[in-house]
Amino acid sequence: MFVLRRLGGALPTLFAVSLLVFLFVDLIPGDPAQILAGPTASNEEIESIRQFLGLNEPLLTRYGHFLRGIWDPAVATSFRTHRPVVVELAERLPNTLIVSIGGLVIGVVVGTLAGIVSAMRPGGFADAAITVLTLAGISMPIYWLGLLCIWLFAVHLGWLPAAGASTPAHFVLPILVIATRPAAMFSRLVAASLTETMGKDYLDTARAKGLSETRVVLAHALRNSLIAAVSVAGVQFGGMLGGSVVTETVFGIPGVGRLLVDAVSRADYPVIQYAILMFAVFFVVINLVTDLLTQWLDPRTREQERPA
Amino acid sequence: MRSLRHSCTVAALATGLSFLAAQAFAQPAGVLRVAVGADPATFDPAFNDLPVGNAVDLAVLEGLFRLDPQNNVQKSLATDSSFSPDGKVFSVKIRAGKTFSNGDPLNAEAVAASFNRMLDEKTGSIYRGLYASLGTVKAVGEDTVEFHMAEPNGHVLMLLASTAASIVNVKALKEMGAEYGRKPVGSGPYMVERYVGGEGFRLVPNPKYAGDYPATLKAIEFTVVPEDGSRMALMETGAADIVERVPPESIAAINALKSAKVVTPPSMFSINMEMVLRGPLADPRVRQALNLAVDREGIAKGVLGGLGTPSVGMVGPGTQDELRKTFPPIPFDPAGAKKLLAEAGYKPGQLALSFTCPTGRYIKDVQVCQALAGSFEDVGIKATPLVVDRGTWTKVVGMEPAQRTDNMGMVGRATAGMDYTLYRLFYTGVGANRTGYSNPRVDALLKEGRATTDPAKQKAIYGEVQEIVWKDQPFLFLWYQTQAIGVANRVQGFAVQPNETLVFDKVTLN
Repeated sequence: MFVLRRLGGALPTLFAVSLLVFLFVDLIPGDPAQILAGPTASNEEIESIRQFLGLNEPLLTRYGHFLRGIWDPAVATSFRTHRPVVVELAERLPNTLIVSIGGLVIGVVVGTLAGIVSAMRPGGFADAAITVLTLAGISMPIYWLGLLCIWLFAVHLGWLPAAGASTPAHFVLPILVIATRPAAMFSRLVAASLTETMGKDYLDTARAKGLSETRVVLAHALRNSLIAAVSVAGVQFGGMLGGSVVTETVFGIPGVGRLLVDAVSRADYPVIQYAILMFAVFFVVINLVTDLLTQWLDPRTREQERPA
Repeated sequence: MRSLRHSCTVAALATGLSFLAAQAFAQPAGVLRVAVGADPATFDPAFNDLPVGNAVDLAVLEGLFRLDPQNNVQKSLATDSSFSPDGKVFSVKIRAGKTFSNGDPLNAEAVAASFNRMLDEKTGSIYRGLYASLGTVKAVGEDTVEFHMAEPNGHVLMLLASTAASIVNVKALKEMGAEYGRKPVGSGPYMVERYVGGEGFRLVPNPKYAGDYPATLKAIEFTVVPEDGSRMALMETGAADIVERVPPESIAAINALKSAKVVTPPSMFSINMEMVLRGPLADPRVRQALNLAVDREGIAKGVLGGLGTPSVGMVGPGTQDELRKTFPPIPFDPAGAKKLLAEAGYKPGQLALSFTCPTGRYIKDVQVCQALAGSFEDVGIKATPLVVDRGTWTKVVGMEPAQRTDNMGMVGRATAGMDYTLYRLFYTGVGANRTGYSNPRVDALLKEGRATTDPAKQKAIYGEVQEIVWKDQPFLFLWYQTQAIGVANRVQGFAVQPNETLVFDKVTLN
């Protein structure tokens, strides 16, 4: 029931997004017909291409066309390849998801472990080292780190391929580089909330029961610290989809992010519009999943059937 | 036992025969790995506008004519061609017995269908305007194609030799739809075996190919890597044999490798500041002053890292060299520029000019604009460089001169064909003439040059046009870009056309 209601509530949001995406793309400087025709084209040639692309139709007709393309892929085709946009997106999406989900999972695992280590021995050597690495992870721009990693692991050591996506080995570097940010965020977050929880009375009770410190931390303290972490993970995942624009360009991975970059530089309106709409749908779904996870972890947030 | 001996004999015989065959025709061998910077959205010649796409079309499709690595026109499918006495019908005889890679016959009818498809308004080809003068195309018998020209055009060979005029299999195209753009069915020595969007594609020999350029490689594998640094890393790790577009700062690093070198063939890309000929720039003295104020040699070395040659004519090398005329380079003379500005009535600081530059369209375009602004300031001009994104830039340099609010725009021109380039840029009132240039003598010459089919006459006519344009200086002439391509030492026989098309005709691997 909750899920359905949330999804229903998302519909107006998605409608607004569709309107904004459509209008903003229309405001992007540059005329797709002119870009396709090249700088030496005459006005008549540009006009004929504009007519062919349907850019002369009134705004409302074009918006209707755009909405129709959501369920009828045959009318939503790329200006450049003439293939349905959904085919273009479907072909690229798996690469984007492999990198984003892989990066998130590794980032969360590594970050949580680092956070626990920091919290167990605050002020120790491990804590100091993790703090330094965390700061580096948060401050280093991904594209810069990516290029450094390519230089070290591909050019210098020769362990991994530099760019491309033809074998699983090609995904190792991008996933590791992507994972740095969530890892850094999580280690800070988990460490902070664990340190805060560590002094709580219920943990003393647990210790008094004779549980080992590890059990206390893992079974009792961590569960409460994860509540905040889950919502951060959701936001991070969304950020990663957006960040795919950068990582996929650096590592030459054919994902949705790169498709979007190419589409913007060539004014391929349909690809830009549907790709952004797809990202918006993802954000809605991610938010929903985060909420459900939070409810599962924290009974206080569950809706209660209050007696009237 | 008997059968065993028999099969041994057969095997031995077969080995011997194949050995003989190998001596007669070198078997395709080796896999060439190429890393390119741009993702070709389509190989359909009616829509492709990237050099990578040209390279694939040159290998996978065939035209009636083709350009060699120096941009000279050669026969490809055509065996003979001639104009009717009135110049209205151009007929081409084609090779007999050719087939497409899927077995369909490549006869006169298929050729006519390919051209008529491109010229059809419903196709929406980006080249329809360029080829509109071809008129209607008809097949006469099995081996003759007639172009019933819409207007006389003495440059039809140049048009037909471009990869945009490659012959596509219209029948296969109808069946495949947009997928044809990924795996075009042609008659060239190679065919596209695999295409992964955004990642790369693989060409393999076309077993049905018959012609002068049989496949020499077992496969050509392309990887698309837009990031310069990552693409260079592929060359440094030995994961690529050829890398496109080496940025100036990486040339030394690639040349330092034991296994590869950077080649720098000339490009026909002629980079200029195209002026809007009104206000201060209507005065030829101001235009001349601007041309004298720029240290082309210095900027080409210091900013472009050597990837530029100061202009010696408006059109770049490879733009029909037999018609091209070159002039002494423009000197760097700031004192002369100041004098001319004073003569034109401008005291230092009085003249203000703005100019529009794209970001990432040409080699170091943003830095070049800043250097140019500095050069103008040095001669007392208040210069405002407007560095904009590519979309805005396309819009600005595509505006009618009357609508422009800036004074100049940085544009690179690279079109095979003297007529096409000069007519579109300098004929009065033509749609692509964005400077507002108008010279009755040039108009008359361009008209005459288009109609004539006599090469000697063409040479005289276009020589004069180029001279007038060079003297009138409607552009601030800058330089011709130089290509920079990383090539592994094991690659032999590799060539590049001045329009940046990679040519794999004779490539072999050691």
